[in-house]
Amino acid sequence: MRLSELSFPARRLALIGLAKNTGKTVALTTLLGELEQQGRTVGVTSVGRDGEEHDVIDARIEKPRVALAAGSLLATTDELLRASGLPYELLSETESRTPLGRVLVVRLEGAGIVEVAGPSAAQQVRAVSELMLHHDADQVLIDGAIDRRAASAPEVCDGLVMATGAVLGSEIEEIVTRTAEAVELARLPLLDGDDGVAARTRELAEGHGGHLSALVAGDGSVQELPPRFALRADGAALAELLPVHAAGSHLLVGGAVPESLLEALVELHRRGRELPVVVVGDPTRVFLSSHGVGWYRRQEIELRATRSAPLLALTVNPVAPRSHSFDSRELRGRLDHALEDLPILDVCAPEYPGPDIEPSPDGTSGSPDGASAP
Amino acid sequence: MPREVDLTAVGPYADHLGDGLVQMSFTLPVPYSLAARRAALELAAGMGFEEPEVVHYQQLTEGYTYFVMYGRCTVAIDFSAMQGEGFDIEYMNEDEVERFVEEQIGRRIVVVGASTGSDTHSVGIDAMLNLKGYHGHHGLEGYRSFETYNLGSQVPNGVLLAKAIEVHADAILVSQTVTQQNLHVQNLTELVEMVEAEGRRAQIIMACGGPRVTNELAKELGYDAGFSKGTEPQHLATFLARELAARAPARA
Repeated sequence: MRLSELSFPARRLALIGLAKNTGKTVALTTLLGELEQQGRTVGVTSVGRDGEEHDVIDARIEKPRVALAAGSLLATTDELLRASGLPYELLSETESRTPLGRVLVVRLEGAGIVEVAGPSAAQQVRAVSELMLHHDADQVLIDGAIDRRAASAPEVCDGLVMATGAVLGSEIEEIVTRTAEAVELARLPLLDGDDGVAARTRELAEGHGGHLSALVAGDGSVQELPPRFALRADGAALAELLPVHAAGSHLLVGGAVPESLLEALVELHRRGRELPVVVVGDPTRVFLSSHGVGWYRRQEIELRATRSAPLLALTVNPVAPRSHSFDSRELRGRLDHALEDLPILDVCAPEYPGPDIEPSPDGTSGSPDGASAP
Repeated sequence: MPREVDLTAVGPYADHLGDGLVQMSFTLPVPYSLAARRAALELAAGMGFEEPEVVHYQQLTEGYTYFVMYGRCTVAIDFSAMQGEGFDIEYMNEDEVERFVEEQIGRRIVVVGASTGSDTHSVGIDAMLNLKGYHGHHGLEGYRSFETYNLGSQVPNGVLLAKAIEVHADAILVSQTVTQQNLHVQNLTELVEMVEAEGRRAQIIMACGGPRVTNELAKELGYDAGFSKGTEPQHLATFLARELAARAPARA
């Protein structure tokens, strides 16, 4: 299946990369091409910057340009719009100021190439996405940046596509492991069950603006945590807070879960303590770098989310720019073996389904017509 | 006679407006010789300079020659397109910042700073925050209008953010040495994502600094501004004061 079909269910679709140069922008341009061909109106925004000529860290790396059809909706800065030279209708001048200028939401009145740099903050991304849907976009594409995940929070998007690639490691095994860890985190199990504790925890997670932290005991009693408890992740304070028999209780964290909190829990478990289930608002609030969710599960730490956006597909870039590359089929095969029920695509591979009809010439090609057969 | 500056076509200036004259210096890894001089001229021409001229050259060490050159720059920049609606800041000096904050904000601006993760360099953050400052300019600690907390180096992101929330920080300032490896970048993105996870992104101005940090990189990282080499404390103070003033209605 093509990326546009897989991502069809998400009216607000987030494209999230596991690192720089994993092929997010190529996935975006592929999607744009397919949606244009289907006659669908897209809205595009980026939490970073898209369509720039050169990589911001390594200027030797050339980046794909973003071509949009006339009628597309777009959130980008005033300066980048002016630089594109494209005609547009101004829909909204937002309050969002970025290091690259103030963000405008516009409808393009001509097709062409443009750099996309919308708001960075999740709340503002949500606002511009809703604005574009309000102005009749069929689907809004929210492009991520580097390894940022905040735009894939369930408040911001209805589904996400993840991009991984050779840039994650020099060995296939390393790429598979790191990708599987990221996928497992994005698909963190939801806190289900109708028993009193789970229901009480969900209720607390939904109130208080989603930012209450508390220990919910097996009998349903609630002990609110001191402010910033999880962020500081102090082992001694944690040992004091948790009852000796914490099994069956839930530790609800209303904000970020830094890895140090899980490490402190592992340490307590090693000293013979029973652990509560750790409950977070959604997967974007969990910050892991040393180990994945699976490793912590093997240390008896169960993580649950109260909400999440569905992961719809994984795109693979087998090339690490200016470094190494792998055989696309092999890499996809290994990933497919490690991951269950997840469509895996390389949109640049020859077997990726091409357009049903001849593509319209893109803005970069100088060819006068589409006469050449594919 | 002074001429009006054409802001739509701004170029370098030496003797008179529009002359485009640039002075540059560089070293070539070739012996001090006539051929070296010719190589420098061709190199400058290759860079697009018209009428390149070597005004000084000397042996730097065995096999290396140092040049000072002039050349006429042939391109111009539309400066008018970079002002106004875009993200432009005219820097204030220390006294002007103090007055601006007093009048526009009416309280002290709270800033928490650190070098995060494994970065052991605190020199950048010290230059911006500490009284001693940088280049003869006070750090923000020396301003009446700022309340600063410098947590030092190798600070975990969670600890930095917890402190920022505790003291009701208006801004977080982090310094990182960005390398072509991803490590430091991940540290910077993790911090901004944690601020999102805590639901504080709208309340806290995020600024990052480091030798390779540009505004373009700051945008990708999700920060409100990036500061690089050449930044002095009053530049940062100007940005924070103006940004906070601009946001004030949203906070009320």
